[in-house]
Amino acid sequence: MSLKPFNKLPELNTANVLLVENEERFQKKLADAIVLLENNVNVIVRLARSLPLPLENAESRPRIDLVVFIVHLNSEQSLLSAETSLKHLDSGYFLGKVCFLVTGARCGTLPYERLTSLKKMAATLNSPLLMTEDKTAEGVNTAAQRVLAVLRVAAGLVPMATGLYLSSLTRCTVPNDPDWQNQD
Amino acid sequence: MDDSAKQVLRKIIRRIPSNKLQNILSKWEHLSKKQFRSLEFTQAKWLLCDNLLSLCEENDLSMKHVTELEMIYRIENPAQGSWNVCQLIDPSEEAVTVDSLTFKDSFKAHLKHLISHVSVKMKKHEDNAIWIRIAWGDNFTQPNHLNPTYVVHHLQTPYVFVSGLTAKHKPFLHQALIPSTHYGGLKDVHLSGRCLTALRDLLMRQYKQAFPVKHPRLLQEKSPVPSHPNIETEHAKHTEKRLQMAAEAFGEGILPKLETAVYKLETRFRENGMPGRREEPFRGVVKFSSSNLLESLKNCVSSGMASAPVTPLLSSITQKGRNYFVITDKGPGVSHTQGRKI
Repeated sequence: MSLKPFNKLPELNTANVLLVENEERFQKKLADAIVLLENNVNVIVRLARSLPLPLENAESRPRIDLVVFIVHLNSEQSLLSAETSLKHLDSGYFLGKVCFLVTGARCGTLPYERLTSLKKMAATLNSPLLMTEDKTAEGVNTAAQRVLAVLRVAAGLVPMATGLYLSSLTRCTVPNDPDWQNQD
Repeated sequence: MDDSAKQVLRKIIRRIPSNKLQNILSKWEHLSKKQFRSLEFTQAKWLLCDNLLSLCEENDLSMKHVTELEMIYRIENPAQGSWNVCQLIDPSEEAVTVDSLTFKDSFKAHLKHLISHVSVKMKKHEDNAIWIRIAWGDNFTQPNHLNPTYVVHHLQTPYVFVSGLTAKHKPFLHQALIPSTHYGGLKDVHLSGRCLTALRDLLMRQYKQAFPVKHPRLLQEKSPVPSHPNIETEHAKHTEKRLQMAAEAFGEGILPKLETAVYKLETRFRENGMPGRREEPFRGVVKFSSSNLLESLKNCVSSGMASAPVTPLLSSITQKGRNYFVITDKGPGVSHTQGRKI
C-alpha cells in the first residue's frame, strides 16, 4: 500500500514531516533540531528506515506533508534503499512534497557516480536536493532550518505559496553537458 | 655489562614510550633511590639511555637484569604483538595440584634438557598468571634476546597464551609445557588477537554471555524512547526485534576485544544446490578485521546493516571461542582439514 498525500484531513496549525533514512544515524539529530527550532507551528516528525511504512501504524498516522529522503553518499546501500522506497510513494507526493537530503558530499574520495545518479533521480522527480553536513551541530541546525522552510510551504502554512510552486523553483537540475563533473 | 646487554637495554628503552618510562623504571628494583633520582625524565631519550647505561655499569648489572626490565614492561602492556592460544588436553591426576614453584623448576629443567642455549625467565603476576620469557639460541649461538617468546599460563587452567613463537621453536615449547603441567597434549585453539585480557575473558567466559534458548527473553533495555513527544518512530517494533537478535547472538554486555576473524572456504562449487562438475574444492579466504570486531558485528546487527538472524558462522566466534574457521563440505570429500566443521 503506497503512502498517499491527500487521503486524510489536515489538522489545524500542524505540519507533519517523515524522515526516511536507512542507517538511522542522522534522522534523530535532525528530528531533535527541527522540533526545537519551530515554535509557532506544531511540527510532528516521524522517523522511518524505509518505505512502505508498517500497516499497524496506518490508523494513527496523520497526513504526511513532506517526505525527506536522507542519503549518505558514503554508502551504496543508502542510495539503493532510497531508490526502492520511492516506489512506495504515491505520485501526488512528487508535486512538491518530496525532498532529498545528501550528506558527505564534501568527501573527495567517494565515487562521483553516486552523487550524479542521485542528482538525476531528483531531477527526474522534480524534487529539490539539499546538501547538508551531518558531523557538526551547526550543519544539523542549518539542515533543520532548510527542511522546515520547505515543510512550512508544503504544509500550506505560508500564504500565497504552494509546494508545487516552490519545487518548480528549487528542483534539482542536471546540466546537459556530459562532462560537467570534470570541469572543477 | 657486555655489548649485547647494552644493545638490548637500548632497544627496550627505545620501545617504551617516554610517559611510561619513569613508572616502569621505578618498578625495576636494581637502581638505588639516589640513582633513580639522578635520572632526568625530561631529557631526550638517548641521553637518558646513556645515563642509565652508566648507572647499570656502576651497579654491575647483567643481561639477566635487563630482561627483567623488559618483562616488567611487557606485563604492564600486554597488548603488543599477536597472541595465539593453545589448549592443554588429557589432564592427568596431578594436573590440578601443580603449584607455581614446581611448575617453574620442571619447565626450566625440561626446556634446558631439550635445547642447550636457551634463557628462561619467569615471573608470577598478580592475577596468578605465570609469565615466561624465553630467548632462544641454537647449539652454536647464544640466546637471542632481541626477539624473545612470551608465554602466559594460568595454573589449573588448560589455556596457554603464546606470543612471538617461531615454527622452529614450537616443538620445544610444547615438549617442555606438556610434562611440566601434567597434561597429555597441546592443541591449537585457532584463536588469536592483540589483547591478552580479551582472549582470556573469552576463553574463561568472564564476560556477559548469551546462552542459546528456545523462548526469546524480554529485553531489559528497550529501544531508546524519542526525546520529544512530537517525534515518533515508525519502525520501533523492528528496532526492538533487531536489538533482541543482536543480544541473543552476542550477549548484552561489553564484548571481549578481538581484531580479526578468518574463514577459510574449502567447499565445492555448487550449481542450483547440486555439487558442480569440478571435483577440486573452491578455495577462498574471508577475513574480517576491525579494532573491535565483536562489537562491530553486534552493531551491524542491531543497526540493521546485516540481516537478522545472525548466521551461526559469526555468532560461533564467542560460543566456540575461536576466530579461525575452515568451512568444508559435509561429505567425505575434503576431510584432511584441521578446523572444525560448521
